[in-house]
Amino acid sequence: MTIPFDDASLWLIFVLAGLATTLPRASFIVLGGRVALPSLVQRALRYAPAAALAAIVVPDVLLVAGEFAPLNPKLAAAGAAAGAALLSRNPWLPFIAGMGVLLALRLGFGL
Amino acid sequence: MRRRHMHAFPSPCFRAGAREGFRAFLPLSVGLIPWALVTGMSMVGIGMTPLQAMGMNVIVFAGTAQLGTLPLIAAGAPLWLIVATTLALNLRFVIFSAAIAQGFHGHGAGTRWLCGHLLTDGVFAACMVKMLETEDKDWRLGYYLAPSLWSWLLWQVFALVGVLAAGSIPKDWSLEFMATIALLVLLLPMAKLRPMLAAAGAGGATAVLLNGLPLKLGLFAAIFVGIGAGLAVDHRQGKGRAA
Repeated sequence: MTIPFDDASLWLIFVLAGLATTLPRASFIVLGGRVALPSLVQRALRYAPAAALAAIVVPDVLLVAGEFAPLNPKLAAAGAAAGAALLSRNPWLPFIAGMGVLLALRLGFGL
Repeated sequence: MRRRHMHAFPSPCFRAGAREGFRAFLPLSVGLIPWALVTGMSMVGIGMTPLQAMGMNVIVFAGTAQLGTLPLIAAGAPLWLIVATTLALNLRFVIFSAAIAQGFHGHGAGTRWLCGHLLTDGVFAACMVKMLETEDKDWRLGYYLAPSLWSWLLWQVFALVGVLAAGSIPKDWSLEFMATIALLVLLLPMAKLRPMLAAAGAGGATAVLLNGLPLKLGLFAAIFVGIGAGLAVDHRQGKGRAA
């Protein structure tokens, strides 16, 4: 794969993503106990990661070239990875199962 | 432990705290290794050079945020959307930061920035309780910094191993899909709670439905719809308990 950004843009992305990581982390640690977060905001913040993770993962496994394709190798691979994650505590297994299914379907069956 | 005013650093209290923090966190820290390896391999998988990949690893230092931005970087998404998504993935740290802030009472701004930069899910989970119930500020700092710096080191070393290993794997093995698997594995335990499941379901569905929008705006909308759905279900559950 090639990245659709040049080197300078990529480093700019790293710096901005780094700020978007360090600022939330440091926020209250740096401010100290002086400021408190309203409880509605606290609850809203709890749901942001789940929403963002699903918004990245679901289209990636359900769409092929922007079209809805419920039967595709990536969905099968994601199913295998999810099954492995739910059934086993081994941290490697989801990756072995997911990549195994994806490679078998793509390289083995040419899907 | 007697509170001593010492200008020598690290003080004995700091070192005692550091030893105890390290011991508490060491078994947990093993769990970082597969993540660091996968993150390293995924960064190279979307086409980064080893230098770019390690640059990102040092500057961002956040597995979820790194893995989450990789599909967007690979797709050439606009810069603001990449940053907004990183922010959404990191908002949980605002809560962690608020919860652990009292533990840094008595330390200066520089130390606080460093500690904030190093805040991770694992160290927060392992250290918060003792941080808040211990009197000595140097002990607390040692107790927090030792596992934090250890996490940082493990993260860099094993990401580098992943980066170097990825180079010897054939290009048509679709290594970039490792990032998707990693994000899925992070999502699954969250979805066991009903409001989280609602947030994930609504966020995922919205992202698919609005996929045709330019600039990947659908992803941005999906995050808001997901948060709204999570709050709505949370609110309904709260009412159910009150009734």
